[in-house]
Amino acid sequence: MISLPPDQELLLTGTLLMAACYGAGALSSLLALWSGRLALGTGHLAALAGAVAGLGVSLGVLLGDPGRTLTQPLPDLFPFARLSLAVDGLSAYFLLVISVVAVAAAIYGPAYLRAHSPDAGAARQGAQVFALNAFLGCMVFVCSAGDALTFLLCWEGMTLASYVLVVTDDRDGKNARAGLLYLVMTHGGTALLLVGFLVLTERAGAFDFAALRAAAGGLDGATRTTLFFLALAGFATKAGVVPLHVWLPRAHPAAPSHVSALMSGVMLKAAIYGMLRFGFDLLAPVAGPLPASWGWTVLVAGTISAVLGVLYALQQHDLKRLLAFHSVENIGIILIGVGLAMILWRAEGAGGALATVALTAALLHTVNHAAFKGLLFLGAGSVLCRTHIRNIEELGGLARRMPWTAGLFLLGAIAISALPPLNGFVSEWLTFQALLGGASRFHGAAGLGIVFSAAMLALTGGLAAACFAKAFGVTFLGRARTPQAERATEAPPSMIAGMVWLGALCVALGVAPGYAMRLLDAPTVALLGGPGASAVVTAQGPLVLSTALTLPGTDATAISMTMVAALLIALTAMAWVLRRGAWNAAPRTVPTWTCGMSPTARFDYTATAFAKPLRFVFAALYRPRREVTRETAGTPYVVRRIHYAGEIVDLSETQIYHRVERGISRLSRAIRGRSTGRIYGYIGFVLGALFVALLLFGVGQG
Amino acid sequence: MNAESVYTIVDDLGALLLFTMILIIAAGQIYRAIYAVAAQSLLIAIAGGVLAMATGNVDLWVIAGVTLGVKAIALPWVLLWVVRRMNVRREVEPVIPVAATLALAVMVVVMSFHLSTSLGPVRQAITGNALPVGIALTLLGVLVMATRKTALHQMVGLFASENGIFFTAMAVTQGMPLIIEIGVILDVILAALVMAIMVLRVRSTVDADIASLDRLRG
Repeated sequence: MISLPPDQELLLTGTLLMAACYGAGALSSLLALWSGRLALGTGHLAALAGAVAGLGVSLGVLLGDPGRTLTQPLPDLFPFARLSLAVDGLSAYFLLVISVVAVAAAIYGPAYLRAHSPDAGAARQGAQVFALNAFLGCMVFVCSAGDALTFLLCWEGMTLASYVLVVTDDRDGKNARAGLLYLVMTHGGTALLLVGFLVLTERAGAFDFAALRAAAGGLDGATRTTLFFLALAGFATKAGVVPLHVWLPRAHPAAPSHVSALMSGVMLKAAIYGMLRFGFDLLAPVAGPLPASWGWTVLVAGTISAVLGVLYALQQHDLKRLLAFHSVENIGIILIGVGLAMILWRAEGAGGALATVALTAALLHTVNHAAFKGLLFLGAGSVLCRTHIRNIEELGGLARRMPWTAGLFLLGAIAISALPPLNGFVSEWLTFQALLGGASRFHGAAGLGIVFSAAMLALTGGLAAACFAKAFGVTFLGRARTPQAERATEAPPSMIAGMVWLGALCVALGVAPGYAMRLLDAPTVALLGGPGASAVVTAQGPLVLSTALTLPGTDATAISMTMVAALLIALTAMAWVLRRGAWNAAPRTVPTWTCGMSPTARFDYTATAFAKPLRFVFAALYRPRREVTRETAGTPYVVRRIHYAGEIVDLSETQIYHRVERGISRLSRAIRGRSTGRIYGYIGFVLGALFVALLLFGVGQG
Repeated sequence: MNAESVYTIVDDLGALLLFTMILIIAAGQIYRAIYAVAAQSLLIAIAGGVLAMATGNVDLWVIAGVTLGVKAIALPWVLLWVVRRMNVRREVEPVIPVAATLALAVMVVVMSFHLSTSLGPVRQAITGNALPVGIALTLLGVLVMATRKTALHQMVGLFASENGIFFTAMAVTQGMPLIIEIGVILDVILAALVMAIMVLRVRSTVDADIASLDRLRG
């Protein structure tokens, strides 16, 4: 501590301050004994303070000289392991992502919880405050853990705290089932991680990452790859990669909306952090490229997740569930970048520039997705707390009643659809550049595979735009279809403020992304060791993005988002002026002609109808099932009611999970038939097994 | 106190522990078994105290104190209270005859001593016969659980098995870390509470013993 430079000291203090804030927030749940309202306010305030401290620490590390690691030993809890925190560029970057969304969630939370469930008891509010702070604290320390034990403990804490948040708002047992599925799936993932970590710690004889790195240096190729795939499967479960995503669209919508924003926008990123940490840092060979199977697996998984995620999202009519499926899609896009970086790293002659572009794209999409998905979930939460309806078919016409929410939701929708000039476009553009650049490096099947991935990414972008045209149009435009939607009012100012913060980030990252590249220097240099992000991507000045692939014979592609934005604004202004000038006649307002009937809200385009063409095109994937029942009055010519019910299936659910489920049921029925039910009998089995094991051990030793 | 005499004392205590174990197995009535297990816990506490004096390890004093308070006094008292509440003084219901159990026990003890000679690296850490005694106690505790039908008796077996683990830990590594010992003690307390509640509840609602729960299987 003594020999540290003063800024190091300051950053360490910041880290401890952050921990203290989250701890205080968790403790403030005790105030619920006195007043639930007070606990909500204090707890979220503490979380806000913690998030601001986290922002400070991460910016301090990211803007300092790259390649430096901030370490802080923790008090000894276990005699066999030294616990520590280590914040390097990668950790600091994910800390930034977490803190950015946490700020919005902490501002948004108290008003949302009060507006959404005014009848909630103080006990529930206390539990929510405690779990929220524990969740944030654990997430932050997962990303800044310096040893395997701290990582695993915080990883588990993160899962448990988010489980509590998922089940706190349980009305009909549905959320409890979603929570159970979530817990089972993520614990399976954690078990895989545990195996991976324990194999490494066993070899290293210590738990800290430096020792694990040294131990991994001596691994042979097969073990290294096995360990990587164990860890990858564990992290992919948490990240919701197809086909391990089944818990995600159930659990994320069940949580309170600002927690959904955190889970979708940030918690999935903790898994991405783990993959990067394992793939590029802990398990990477000392020299030479990563094994080819790693990058290709990640790339293929990412491509499948991106396409299937958005396809399933298209057919969802539950607003939050739709957003949750989009998280599967966006994790896929991030993984495309990660996989490409793994393939290209140390494998090309251009000084690793292209791998840096790919990783930059992935990391930039990480923060972008956190910003716009957070914004969209908060917007969905505003709608939910005013109408208590999640099915978009029952909403409609909210733009007039909730103008701020509608505007901000539209902003998020444009960003997630990867339309310029917002941030989603920037990172998808970079991903495309990396993919196309990579395709020109490889020949034959490999090159074709990368081109196919690029094509799928383009399809994903288009489908996402269609999906959000549906979600925004049906929810906010047209007429209100239910009385609840008709009575909706604008959300409270503090909720709007939380959304405005994220919306501003979307615009800033979209219009001037060059300045964000400075923040990406530290993680890219720390992981890849090559040139930093700003050296590659903003070589022509901070306002121009280019992929400075200084290879002979290839031209650098460049785009200036600031110019694009200015151009769009100018074009809009010009169109407006031209329209005003050319059209002098006063507009007449008349009702729509509806064949002589008076128009009702039932005439509007529904979400099901909007998605129908795509349901036909992708019928092989969706296996749609529809059921139309007509209720006639005596004669078939007079129809009293028509009832339509349609549903689609999730292929991985029916093809994989249901089979596994049936297998387990069969097995347990078989076991049940043979069990005696006598406790002493079971203990006898245990004793016998123990005895045989000891005997075998004795024989083996002797 | 020199190391030589400490190990002599621990060895003697080990012999006494095995004796109490045989008392538990051979006990014809439940309260005798409870007294025997209380005596066994007392011996464990004494062994902890002796080791604490010899090594100057403060944690061991704490562990010895907790063992004395919880396992030698509080838990036997709870078990006796349950016995009184249930108002049974009936004979122990063994699954196999007591004589056969004793024969099995002898076999287990012999095997434990045989086994510990093959544990070369561990053997070097300690002298004396503490390790085989600890293993034997642990296995015999499980044996008691496996050969008795009533929940109370299985509880006694669990305590004895627990004592064995404690003794092994103390003898081999001069005690596990305090936090782990405390955790183990809490586990035992919890098990005792659950058992007591189960036994009394099942009895007061359906007038059956835990052993009849095998009728509940699906």
